[in-house]
Amino acid sequence: MTSPSSSVRAIGRKGIHVTRQFGSAGVMACATASALRRPNEWRREAFVQAKAIGIDSLPLVLFVGALSGSILAQQAGYQFTDLPMWIVGQAVVAGMLTELAPLLSAIIMAGRVGAGIGAELGTMKVTDQIDALRTLGRDPIIELVVPRVVAGAIVMVPIVIFANIIGVLSGWFTSIALLPMTTAEYVRGVQSYNYEPAVIFTLIKAVCFGITITFTGCFVGFHAEGGAAGVGRTARNTVVAIIVALMVLDVVLAPIYKAVS
Amino acid sequence: MIEIRGLRKTLNGKRVLDGVDLDIHEGTSLVIMGPSGTGKSVLLKHIVGLFDPDEGDVCVEGMSVPQAGGREIREIRSKISYVFQNSALFDSLTAAQNIQLGLPADHCRHVYAMTDPLVLEAVSLVNMGPEVLALLPSELSGGMQKRVAIARAIVGRQKYILYDEPTTGLDPVNASVINRLIAQVQRETGSTSVIVTHDIESAFFLGDRIVLLSDGKVRASGTPAELRSSPDPVVQEFLHPKLEEEMIGE
Repeated sequence: MTSPSSSVRAIGRKGIHVTRQFGSAGVMACATASALRRPNEWRREAFVQAKAIGIDSLPLVLFVGALSGSILAQQAGYQFTDLPMWIVGQAVVAGMLTELAPLLSAIIMAGRVGAGIGAELGTMKVTDQIDALRTLGRDPIIELVVPRVVAGAIVMVPIVIFANIIGVLSGWFTSIALLPMTTAEYVRGVQSYNYEPAVIFTLIKAVCFGITITFTGCFVGFHAEGGAAGVGRTARNTVVAIIVALMVLDVVLAPIYKAVS
Repeated sequence: MIEIRGLRKTLNGKRVLDGVDLDIHEGTSLVIMGPSGTGKSVLLKHIVGLFDPDEGDVCVEGMSVPQAGGREIREIRSKISYVFQNSALFDSLTAAQNIQLGLPADHCRHVYAMTDPLVLEAVSLVNMGPEVLALLPSELSGGMQKRVAIARAIVGRQKYILYDEPTTGLDPVNASVINRLIAQVQRETGSTSVIVTHDIESAFFLGDRIVLLSDGKVRASGTPAELRSSPDPVVQEFLHPKLEEEMIGE
């Protein structure tokens, strides 16, 4: 049986480990922010990363965005039976802009891009490539982290915009196909929604989520240990860490909507 | 000159280096050998600032590596190149781009790697033809990867070249080729070589001076002849397999 003192010690050790990780992430974040001042050193690689991240992920994001819009339309239509039907259009656009488009796009990006970055940098770490960069007088933060974080922040914006558009269109198609409503009613619902603050909110979320996904991938990758098994663990840990970070960030960002509206 | 004084390092609760003192003179070839896990690679990583010591100091031309800030560490690293045990070539770059990384970043941005005269010179120094320049590391054999790594180490003409187990994982023929290459580079570039190895044959072939690490301490140090005639039983025990082979050969 575990004694109370050993449990306390174990909790203490875990606490120290978590605190160190946060400290280490803070140092890396400061170094990344500081390196942003030297765009000549990362601009070209950021463009390469943006192309890879965006083009690879777009089809899946669009597919999930379409499903989200359709689900929202159906649930709104089936549940808000006491309300006028045009409310469905409003529910779809509100749900997509404020929550589903940015969050689901980010979760897909976590699986595709975040895990990829974690595994790639994890492999570089365990095969001494990151140390090799240092000995060659290069800064791994500038060479590896900054281009990915900048690319993530930039690319998430169009991805979330496309997810919103496809979601609203899919909601319209579902509404006229499955619900007793017309295009005019759906459009009225969409137009009656005060979407200006929601658009600002969705774009803020897109940038924050893009940074979170790529930065967390880089951070976990930089701390990979062991051989092939270590890289596998790193990919898994990256996805878990990103999803937890996204959910926490989603809660933290929620009051911003109130502020912008 | 590289000076190491009272170097101590504990990793994962184990004392890996326990008060190492060492001087590495310019233009010479120093071999650090010892059984696996005695801190040879850890010692090498302290010289280039990849590890910070728990105690002690490492000075490269009078500059303390552990106390160096960003600018100083860049200056120290500009004098040192490092050949990693597993070559540590970048998977996504061609051999030419990998070699060019040994040159300043500004140079790399402005000169095309495949036709860079400095890259071509380094490739020819490691006895390879320009046909390998367009290949990715995955398309090269282990021996060729090692040669590309050495070309990357010498392209910038650094004063000090640190080799971490350069022949590990290679067959005897390739290991001998790499040993001859290290000696040739040392001769032609006049650099200072520090070679970590547990291969006794390589150590005696390459070293002007050999240091034997044992339990995190310098157990013995001297020329190959001095080490062979050392009365220390630990030294003789380490060298014994080789001597036995020689006796069989005789």
